[in-house]
Amino acid sequence: MSDGKSTQDTMTSDGPVGVGSVVSAPVVPEIERRQRPRPKISTTPPAPPPPPRLQDYAPIIGQPELDELHFLAKQLHGKTVKMVNSTAVGGGVAEMLNRLVPLMNELEVVTRWDVITGGNDFFEVTKGFHNALHGGEYAVTQAVKDIFLMYTEQNRQRMDFSEDLLVMHDPQPAALIRSKRSDHGRWVWRCHIDLSNPNPEVWGFLRPFVDQYDAAIFSSPAFSRQLACPQYLFYPCIDPLSEKNKDLDESVVQKMCDDFGIDRSRPIVTQISRFDRLKDPVGVIQAYKLAKKYVDCQLVLAGGGATDDPEGAAVLQEVMEEAGDDPDVIILNLPPWSAIEINALQRASTLIVQKSLKEGFGLTVTEGLWKGKPVIAGAVGGIPTQVIHKLTGVLVHSVEGCAYQIRYLLTHPDYAAQLGRHGREHVKENFLMTANVERWLLLLQILLGTAHPQPPED
Amino acid sequence: MATANMTAVARRKARAPFHFNSAAHLIRIGREKAGNLSELLEALRVCPDESIFQHTFQTLREHHFIREGFSNDFAHWAFASCNEVGLAERLAGIDVREVTSIAALRQRLVDIVEDHLQQNPRARDRAAFEPFYFSASEVVVVPTPFVAQDLEEFADGIRHVSLTSIHFHFIDARLRLKLDSNDFSLWLKHELDVAAVADRINRIDIYTSTLHDVRRAILRFVQGALG
Repeated sequence: MSDGKSTQDTMTSDGPVGVGSVVSAPVVPEIERRQRPRPKISTTPPAPPPPPRLQDYAPIIGQPELDELHFLAKQLHGKTVKMVNSTAVGGGVAEMLNRLVPLMNELEVVTRWDVITGGNDFFEVTKGFHNALHGGEYAVTQAVKDIFLMYTEQNRQRMDFSEDLLVMHDPQPAALIRSKRSDHGRWVWRCHIDLSNPNPEVWGFLRPFVDQYDAAIFSSPAFSRQLACPQYLFYPCIDPLSEKNKDLDESVVQKMCDDFGIDRSRPIVTQISRFDRLKDPVGVIQAYKLAKKYVDCQLVLAGGGATDDPEGAAVLQEVMEEAGDDPDVIILNLPPWSAIEINALQRASTLIVQKSLKEGFGLTVTEGLWKGKPVIAGAVGGIPTQVIHKLTGVLVHSVEGCAYQIRYLLTHPDYAAQLGRHGREHVKENFLMTANVERWLLLLQILLGTAHPQPPED
Repeated sequence: MATANMTAVARRKARAPFHFNSAAHLIRIGREKAGNLSELLEALRVCPDESIFQHTFQTLREHHFIREGFSNDFAHWAFASCNEVGLAERLAGIDVREVTSIAALRQRLVDIVEDHLQQNPRARDRAAFEPFYFSASEVVVVPTPFVAQDLEEFADGIRHVSLTSIHFHFIDARLRLKLDSNDFSLWLKHELDVAAVADRINRIDIYTSTLHDVRRAILRFVQGALG
């Protein structure tokens, strides 16, 4: 999901890099540091576990809440939904659809998932659109329009649009709205992108398509735009039963820490994110150094992006230079399939930091909150929706602020624990996959006219 | 004697059963947005009723796990994004139990912000750290399988329904009923003639309790009557 990019889809595949361990030589020069053990992580992605069943969520959200989903779905039995996006594997949208579609079908709301096809020229255009909708530059030439519309037309010919609800994810399939019929089917545009500051030329080209939809969905009010159709808020979500978020045996967490050379008898401050300047990993080390003058702790920076991305490699280099020879700074460059490792690191942590300078929704924050950890996070993007300052975590705006909060939370464990408890409840209420299933069922009911929302009494 | 009374209460059948319902909510993104307090004031005057409902009644459900420091979205924004502690305190002091209509609630909000801006004119156009985005709640009522004919069954329902159901009957109900009461208390008082229990339940403080606490307190009062 472009607005809620999880760590899993952004990491590299070169294996973990502990402090002092050998890094891919051409990418990151070796830095003399204390030797740490180098744990074994598979060099290829493991087979995905079977998706969970709806009933598996009962112990997490409660049986009454699950019964409510069944009730909402009952009125939709026989209705059909089609989800359309641009890729079946990789990326947050595919990850989310992989979980959502089976759950909808289990609820007997027949949900199909179709992927648009196109040549490299099409995906180059849509990548340009994507970046431009985030505010970047892109020239919408006639050739660009022709490529986009030609592949749209090909997909229109190939696909069937007979479902009751048709959901197009992001700009790539947006123009399929040309297949909308006046007598059947409601169309929804699910925009995972922050549209608050789009390139006017690209948005000007796409907007006439978007205006034909019956509804649009955004991940945050801040990401939306004024449109002719009603706009709904669907938060990005995490799956509590996924490898990255499921409960882990204490022995797994301990072994992972042993493997990574992390001392669990001392406080652990962790930031999970790819090596990207917008995540400010160097700022996190500076905050750690300031805090360490007063409190003892270790810092774990775990993520990816340093192997397949030249900028990521440069950032990792900066991070290692900033860390110097401090043995308590543990830098881990993990492959994209390190879900269990990330899960264990988050669970082992005393504090989770996400000191981003710019952010989509920030699903790593959601993951940390779900694990009941006190979270210190930059007040950017979708983070303030999750971290309500001093209630479900703390927001910071500077290195100094981050350092102070590390000191404060490490020396006030009761307060930190309360933030963690509230943070987990906040995620349970708003940011779990099951909450998203409920939103889809409600939207279906409202758009298909099987439910009529009650206005507040006045 | 007390035990006999309790037994009688336990055996008593309600004149009409209590049907436990719940509610599902979908958030619609509103058109109004405030970047400072004067824009907030303007938006408060014109936003749909559903937005006032969302940012006061509904937000209590969404943040039900917080015992202190959270009352409604307007108060939180005034505190966190505008650094207007005095205004935040006054807005947080609004008790949704004391209002029985959205119009009255809207007026209370407008009056407080207006008064604050009169006393602090420089706060009027000071840019907030983050804008306030108005949204609105679309509510669909969801029935549950739980129905109570007597106090035992009522306790069973309270024990098993979702927290959203508790919120629906205990907090949202005030707007439906247009009374300073809630669905539980009204049923207990009028259908089961246990006015004392009804009154004790109605006095549970939703601003210092989580919905889990509310559930526990209701059960405690009902169990006390059952003996």
